Amino acid sequence: MAQKGDLLLQMKGVQKRFGGAIALRGTDLSIRAGEIHALLGENGAGKSTMLKILAGVHVNDGGIISLGDKTFITGSPEAAIAQGIAVIYQEPSLFLDLTLAENVFIGRQPMKGVAIDWAQAQVEAARLFAELGVPLDPKRQARGLSIADQQVVEIAKALSMNANIILMDEPTAALSASEVERLMTVMKSLKAANKAVIFVSHRLDEVFMISDYITVMRDGATVSENPVSETDLQKVIKEMVGRELTELFPKTENKIGGVALEINNLTNPAYFHNISFTVRHGEIVALAGLVGSGRSEVARAIFGIDKYTTGSVKVNGKDLAKGSPVAAMAEKIALVPEDRRQQGLFMIAGVNRNISMESFDRIKGKLFLNFKKERALTEIWREKLSIKYEAQSNPVESLSGGNQQKTVLAKWLATNPDILIVDEPTRGIDVGTKAEVHKLINAAAGEGKAVLMISSELPEVLGMADRIIVMREGHKVAELSRTEATQEKVIAAATTGSKGA
Amino acid sequence: MNFLSRLKPSGREGSLGLILIVTIGITGIINPRFLTGDGTRDLFTSTAVVALLAIGMAPIIIMRHIDLSVASTVGLTAWFIADLSAKHPEFTWVQCFIIGPIIGMIVGILNGLLVAGLRLPSLVVTLGTLYIVRGAVYVISNSVDYNAQEMPPSLLSLGQKVFFGIMPFTFLLVIFAMLVTAWFMKYRKAGRDCYAIGSNPHAAVLVGIKVFRRTFLAYVFSGAMAGLAGVFYLMRFAQVDSTAFYGQELAVVAAAVIGGVTIAGGSGTTVGATIGALLVQTIQGGLAAIGVDAFWKSAINGLLLIVAIFADRTLARKSENALLEQRITERA
Repeated sequence: MAQKGDLLLQMKGVQKRFGGAIALRGTDLSIRAGEIHALLGENGAGKSTMLKILAGVHVNDGGIISLGDKTFITGSPEAAIAQGIAVIYQEPSLFLDLTLAENVFIGRQPMKGVAIDWAQAQVEAARLFAELGVPLDPKRQARGLSIADQQVVEIAKALSMNANIILMDEPTAALSASEVERLMTVMKSLKAANKAVIFVSHRLDEVFMISDYITVMRDGATVSENPVSETDLQKVIKEMVGRELTELFPKTENKIGGVALEINNLTNPAYFHNISFTVRHGEIVALAGLVGSGRSEVARAIFGIDKYTTGSVKVNGKDLAKGSPVAAMAEKIALVPEDRRQQGLFMIAGVNRNISMESFDRIKGKLFLNFKKERALTEIWREKLSIKYEAQSNPVESLSGGNQQKTVLAKWLATNPDILIVDEPTRGIDVGTKAEVHKLINAAAGEGKAVLMISSELPEVLGMADRIIVMREGHKVAELSRTEATQEKVIAAATTGSKGA
Repeated sequence: MNFLSRLKPSGREGSLGLILIVTIGITGIINPRFLTGDGTRDLFTSTAVVALLAIGMAPIIIMRHIDLSVASTVGLTAWFIADLSAKHPEFTWVQCFIIGPIIGMIVGILNGLLVAGLRLPSLVVTLGTLYIVRGAVYVISNSVDYNAQEMPPSLLSLGQKVFFGIMPFTFLLVIFAMLVTAWFMKYRKAGRDCYAIGSNPHAAVLVGIKVFRRTFLAYVFSGAMAGLAGVFYLMRFAQVDSTAFYGQELAVVAAAVIGGVTIAGGSGTTVGATIGALLVQTIQGGLAAIGVDAFWKSAINGLLLIVAIFADRTLARKSENALLEQRITERA
């Protein structure tokens, strides 16, 4: 049994690359028994990669990882489990068809002779749940459990494996306030049992409430590692952001016209509450906030993919029918979705087919589709967006991420929308292409289109937007104009903003 | 919480059993012969092959895969054993019961290597082996048929053997296979792994389950059961040609699904699969008893399947909605 303060895990100069992309360029981390250690950083800083290396899902390319005085054996989830490391992923990975007792003991069920001793498993699971202060019924199915309860099952699983080091990837992201409180109690009891808890979180208020140590990562490297008493919120935010805003975002001053899109008290109790804002012609409004704060859900509700229970959406002063993407498109709204592979593109269809997909009326002849017109249309957008492909008929699958993103944009810009909603327009594409996408969005605004941009990248939000709306846990917590917005203000609102604002 | 407890495996088999008893009762009222010893024996005899195949396929469906090659494997084994018996008059039922499962396992190994080893989609792989194995029967058989006189008398008499007046030997073996498999699936780690793999394949890897080994062995098991089912086929019909059991694979899938083995993986039992096979057969018998034309047989089968899937989805959706609402009220 480890004593409090014993060094359990040490990472030195750990590196990892995926193909050409460098995910970790030299990460250090020291974890002691009986401490709660927060891992902070912007999206893409390398936190998840680091957790996955410790979980045995990825193998590091360089650097040293040691557990106590032994070297960590990488490369398989089984090995990681055997070495006392348990990982609780952002999406709990339970078996929903199985009972809770079985989920706790899967692969390690207690045996009586040649048969699994289910009674024993249930008693043990019940004991673990009680220890964690959450008396779940071990005989019930995991299906239908809230995320919070699923996490409790995962933690019980970790305890049953005798794990010393428990990693949690954004455990509070999907929890309500009371659930977070309960999780914190559980974390404290783990700490009291001299386990080490490493957790990733974007909610800085919680981080400062519970952790003993804070490690900040940026661009795949460790920036700082401090006991919580030697750092503060401002310092941490500065370390996370790290860089000054560069001229990556060629903001042009556009003529701002009348209100194009007006959202009034939009509510869907499962995801967002009383959201109101407007977007004017020629204006770029950014919807900022953490992943899971309800931004994409608002966009989907506006476009009619999801329904909302109360509130209204007005386009140029007219009410828009709810729950109908067809009606939204008729009012010249376009939504470029977050997940281009799943929702934005037909991956095995050609570039031309994808770009013309929503513009059939413009490429149809008298009876049949006119493929000459399709070719011309594709060519126009290839030139405007400088999409790179060998032939128009190449499947979108074969294009790079950046060119795929441009293809989705082309598809929707080709419909000549009045209102353009873009969800994470630059996720997973390189810096050069990012700038091009930004230029395109600016140009769209310059033509008088109203643009609503959802983005988790702060520099992008600050560089592009005329106004910034910050959401947190389904509520609008701040609305900042371009002049008053700073990185610190947006992060503070997204992580600690109160719902009354 | 009431509907949740009904979703539990034990509840599912219980209600299926109840439906089966009611169906048998109704059929018996229409045609009293159905409830006699002879009627019950006929039901068991005619269900044995499909039930055995459904038991073999249950673990595969539970793992979110499928095995469409079983009917062809039955045809191959039945023809092969008849052919060997014709050439070796000294053969008794013992050789048949050994050779059958071995031939089936060879097909199972092929399926297992392709699905688990190369990670090809099982629907396509076993559709391929369905045609390959059936094609092999056509080629090898060269249009030769076999009848009762070429088969081992001890095998045929075993096929006629009935216990307690209602329980044929073949169905007794089906019950044995059902119980052993059900025990294995419930009380052995390997069995539980099947449920885990079907429930969440991604998470199964993360908790260190040996997905390749489990998938491979499930196909070998299904193959072995299909081989044994080939022997059962001979025992029941005492004749075989190259088209034996042609096109019956979907009847097996239907029996399993009606028996509550969900096609989406993760749940179901061999007891359910067996009851499903009996239920299909009873309804067929009942319809024949009230004079419904045999042409309606497959249409009614299809209807039954859709009703089963519909009931399944409705239950699942109901519980999902209820849980979502519960969570919203908790948050508010």
